[in-house]
Amino acid sequence: MADTRVGSDDLRRERSLALNVSINSYTLTSALGTGICALRESLRQNRFCLDSAGWLDCDVPCYLGKVAIPDGVEVPLKWRSRNNRLVELALRQDGFEAAVQAVREEYGAGRCGLVLGTSTSGIDRTELAYRQLDDSGRFAEQFHQPAVHNPHAPTDYAAERLGIAGPCLTVSAACASSAKVFATGKRWLEQDLVDAVVVAGADSLCLSVIHGFHSLQLVSAEPCRPFAKNRSGITIGEAAGFILMTRERSAQTLRLLGVGESCDAFHMSSAPEDGNGARLAMDRALEDARLRMHEIDYVNLHGTGTRSNDDVEGRMCGAMMDDRTLASATKGWTGHALGAAGIVEGVLCLEALSTGLVPGTRNTVDHDAPFDLVLKNRKRSINTALTNSFGFGGNNCSVVFSR
Amino acid sequence: MRFCITGVGLWARGLTSYAAFEAAAACGFSGIGDAAFEPPRPSHIPARERRRAGLLINLAVEVAHQACEHAGVDKASTASVFSSSMGDTTITDYMCRKLAGTERLLSPAKFTNSVHNAASGYWGISAGSRAPSTFVGGFEASFGAGLLEAISQAKGFGGPVLLVAYDVENSSPLADVCEIGETLGVALVVEAERSRVRNAGFAVPAELRFVGTRSEFPVPRACGLAKLAGANPMGPALVLLECCIAGIPDRCSPLRFPATTRGCIELQFLDKS
Repeated sequence: MADTRVGSDDLRRERSLALNVSINSYTLTSALGTGICALRESLRQNRFCLDSAGWLDCDVPCYLGKVAIPDGVEVPLKWRSRNNRLVELALRQDGFEAAVQAVREEYGAGRCGLVLGTSTSGIDRTELAYRQLDDSGRFAEQFHQPAVHNPHAPTDYAAERLGIAGPCLTVSAACASSAKVFATGKRWLEQDLVDAVVVAGADSLCLSVIHGFHSLQLVSAEPCRPFAKNRSGITIGEAAGFILMTRERSAQTLRLLGVGESCDAFHMSSAPEDGNGARLAMDRALEDARLRMHEIDYVNLHGTGTRSNDDVEGRMCGAMMDDRTLASATKGWTGHALGAAGIVEGVLCLEALSTGLVPGTRNTVDHDAPFDLVLKNRKRSINTALTNSFGFGGNNCSVVFSR
Repeated sequence: MRFCITGVGLWARGLTSYAAFEAAAACGFSGIGDAAFEPPRPSHIPARERRRAGLLINLAVEVAHQACEHAGVDKASTASVFSSSMGDTTITDYMCRKLAGTERLLSPAKFTNSVHNAASGYWGISAGSRAPSTFVGGFEASFGAGLLEAISQAKGFGGPVLLVAYDVENSSPLADVCEIGETLGVALVVEAERSRVRNAGFAVPAELRFVGTRSEFPVPRACGLAKLAGANPMGPALVLLECCIAGIPDRCSPLRFPATTRGCIELQFLDKS
């Protein structure tokens, strides 16, 4: 077995004393719906959530996992972008702002932090600015928004909205972005940098990602079918989600148990066939959680629907899991929310833990995963869940939750 | 949080290593503004990847390599944090121009390089490293944000962590909104204080704390460095490097620079003993 150790023995001993992290509140807005009630309703009704109506004047034939952002949801011009409007819409759901306000009042704004994962940031707005350049080739007045045209944009906006005055960080590691936020947030709590931390993800639809993945011939013209024998690529989605974490407060709570990160050191946009880099992330997450693979009740797979990604992940997980672990891939419901995929699938794990409904692998009928992939939603009381996120640059992250 | 800087990498106009920085410091950095910018050409990127690497990736990989060599750490097992205020604006410009036109076929290699962690990916491949690696951003506070994350990781992992911080000179129209006037890449190897420091020749111990109030950008002690430091969001790194140079008398005064839009970090340099 690969050596999973990152740190020294001293430190590993110290970490074994580390506090568990409690998950106090969460919200998610994605193709599954705006807020958690809508998400539950979509899952319960087995609703088809992807959309074939296209995007702006984009001519790539595809389905998309879209969020309907109501006209009334606006942000000040300084911050305006579709991505920040999506952040704004998500923040208004499920009493999340009130939950953050409560910890802010308890601990002080300077003891509350924010880590947000994004790959698109406000690029939708930059694209629009380039489409409306003035006669001298410069941005028109309304696009002079320094706070929007940079990778940190959604984090800065969310910090402003939530009144967070502690450390604020954007993580941008492609499709692993908002899984890696759990590692940073957990460390900040363990190291007493903060008393409460919001971990989040926000990515929105834009031409860059649709045309970009199309250039790699990875976009499916049909709804994505993870692990299906006839899978034909990804469906791109958008989402924003927020999770509030503190040090353990009560026994009756959802918890973040462990996070594992690794790199493939292989290729920018494809995974090595043996899946060893990804396996290392899972091993490190399990070690951090002090669990063994057979103690994991549910695995939410990365499962993008591309031929090679699902092959590698399927083989790797097939070798690790035994028959009692349930596994499904949920991008057929939400689309691949890219930089927000980690938070989407983290919330789906938390939902499975709290409701006892394990989501099926939507759109997939006949699969070739070397294990019993959950195709239809299944009622099962579970206590532990692990989610995988793998991204360009060979960046891997696995996260373990429990209740 | 206590930590120790054990290695430095650097690339800018007239300053293409930490040794060059030390040498230039001895004469007040006079004349560095007259030097032409030489693009780094790191030889350690494998040929397949080197063809696709642009200036930003070459800059990041070059300074990362320098810092690891300086610290004497094992590149394959050292975790890394990459940080930039604006990311690869050459690629952003390429993508947005292409998408604004009628012929929208993007180059697959350029799209792949458009992820903000592209330099981290090239570094991982070059170094053969499966250690955790990330890209973080804090807009103009990206150097402070990256340093905080690197030190937190060094403490968390109990080993050395490589911070690679860079921004590349950009052009209109993005430069009209967020101007980067000079290209600058800085890499630091940081270790939690208690770790064994291998390279006795270079070790700068310091204490870091996060402060929830705004800070101005620090001004370099040497006037000759002011223009470069003021023209790139990674400027605070140069002020930090000035403090690293042995023999600076008032190393003891705390150094503050932004780590978020609303907060900063304060570094107090410590005696080597």
